[in-house]
Order: sequence, then structure tokens, then C-alpha cells
Amino acid sequence: MTTVVGTAKHKVTIRQVRIQANRERYAYLFMRMSGVALLILAVGHMLIQHVLNSSGNLTLLFVADQWNSWGWKAYDMLLLVFAVVHGLNGLRNVLEDYIHNPATTLWINRFLIVFAILTIIWAGIGIASFDSEAARAAQEALNQSLGQ
Amino acid sequence: MSSLLLTVRESMRYRGRSGHYSWVAHRISGLAILFFLVMHVWDTANAHFYPPLYAWSLELFKFPLFALGEIGLMAAVLYHAFNGIRITLLDFKPEWWKHQAKSATISWGLFFLIFTPIGLYMVIELISRCNELAAEGATCWTIPSLASYLR
Repeated sequence: MTTVVGTAKHKVTIRQVRIQANRERYAYLFMRMSGVALLILAVGHMLIQHVLNSSGNLTLLFVADQWNSWGWKAYDMLLLVFAVVHGLNGLRNVLEDYIHNPATTLWINRFLIVFAILTIIWAGIGIASFDSEAARAAQEALNQSLGQ
Repeated sequence: MSSLLLTVRESMRYRGRSGHYSWVAHRISGLAILFFLVMHVWDTANAHFYPPLYAWSLELFKFPLFALGEIGLMAAVLYHAFNGIRITLLDFKPEWWKHQAKSATISWGLFFLIFTPIGLYMVIELISRCNELAAEGATCWTIPSLASYLR
């Protein structure tokens, strides 16, 4: 790790320092690394789903087609894990700037961890066990009941 | 409550020279994305767990106010991505800190350059969809009835 120790005009002095390898350090590194991954995953997802395709004509059938492939399922699974952890850790960083009571912070952190795990497990099961045929059948049944 | 207001007001006050607007925009866009992400993930899981409810929410999200929110989401994701890359680069390259102010401007420039055409395209898409529906005698300003989907 490098750090800047003096910033005289137009001159930056850099010295190597040893950083403690604690949990905050890994959380910090994770935010950078997952951020780079999300530049591809999340921006790609936005461009593919909201520009190349449009949510204006998004239906269950579109999802049934897309999640028929393990490639898309894997893409969305990666996006899920990185985005949820990056986002909730970001929220934790924001809250820690404004809430200074250690007991409150501890409970907020516990809540965010449990919430992240539940979200990933629930949505992960949803993606992994999504069945395109079942979705098409559900759309068919809806078309009947909506009278289309 | 007054201390919360104080915090918000003082956080927003520009202190200059350190990319303070970038910091505020990064924070707000991040929180906005997270708010949407959580809804989106739990909603999308219904594609497996409860398809009729998911189909209803897909229709609901076509309502123009949600479509505008979608454009805002695009802006938030793009800015957060570009500014995040800037932060990451500067974190690992302290010798670039002398270009800090310039780098903040570059990430704003990149954001406007890329978001402007995409945002315009999304607005045009929304308007043309509403026009098509209007031509069919329908309207894009309808909220689908949940009861009819869950029947």
C-alpha cells in the first residue's frame, strides 16, 4: 500500500506503509474489485435489458427465453451476488458516517448481513430453479384469465 | 430530527476543491440504486416463486412514472460506475492525486457524453410506446389490476 506524505505544489511524495489486514481492509478492497466487476455486469445489464431490449415490452415470455440458458442464469447470479453485497456494504459505509453509537452500528451490521444472505439465497434459488416451461404455462394461464 | 436535517444540509454544502459534488452524487446515486436493486431482486425472484405476481409487476413498471424512474436509474448507474472507477484508480495511484480536480470533471464529462444519447433514446421509446397505445385507443397511463392477475 502506498500513501502520500507530502503534497508540496506539483510534487507528491510517496512512501510505502504496511496496512493491517483486518476486515475493514478486505471490505474496502472488495468495494473496488466488485466495482470493477459491476462496471461490466451492471452497466452491461442496464444496456442489454433497458436499451437493446426495452422493459416497455418485457413479459414473462422474454424472461422464459432468456433464463432458458445457463449462461444468462450465471450472469444474473454473479450480478446478484456482487450487486447486493456491494450495495449493502455501501449502505453500511454511509450509515457509519452518521451513526456513531457502537451498539446501534453492531445491530445495523448484523441486520444488513442477514438481509444480504437472505436476499442472495432467495433470489439465487429463484434463478437456479427457474423453469422456462413453467413460466410459459403461467403466461398461458394468465392470457386465458385476462381474456387476451 | 433537526440533527438529521443539519447533517443532510451540511453534507450538501459545497466545500470545494475535493470533488465534493462527486462525493454527494456518488452517495445519492448509490443509495438510489440500492433502493431499486432490493425491490428488483425480490420482485424478479417471483418469476420463479409466483409468476402471476411477477407478470403483474412487469405491467406495473410500464407505467410512465416507473419508466422515468428507469431513466433515472440508468443515469445513477452510469455516474456511479464512472466515478467509482475514478475513485478506484486514484486509490491505487496516489501519484495521480494532483489531477484530482480534473479527474472529477472527466467523470462528469464521460457521464454526460454517454448518458445524454441513451437517456434521449429511452425518452423517445417511452413516448412512442404511449403514442402506439393511444393509436389503438388504449393508454399507457393505466395501472394493471392486481386482482385480475392473481385470479
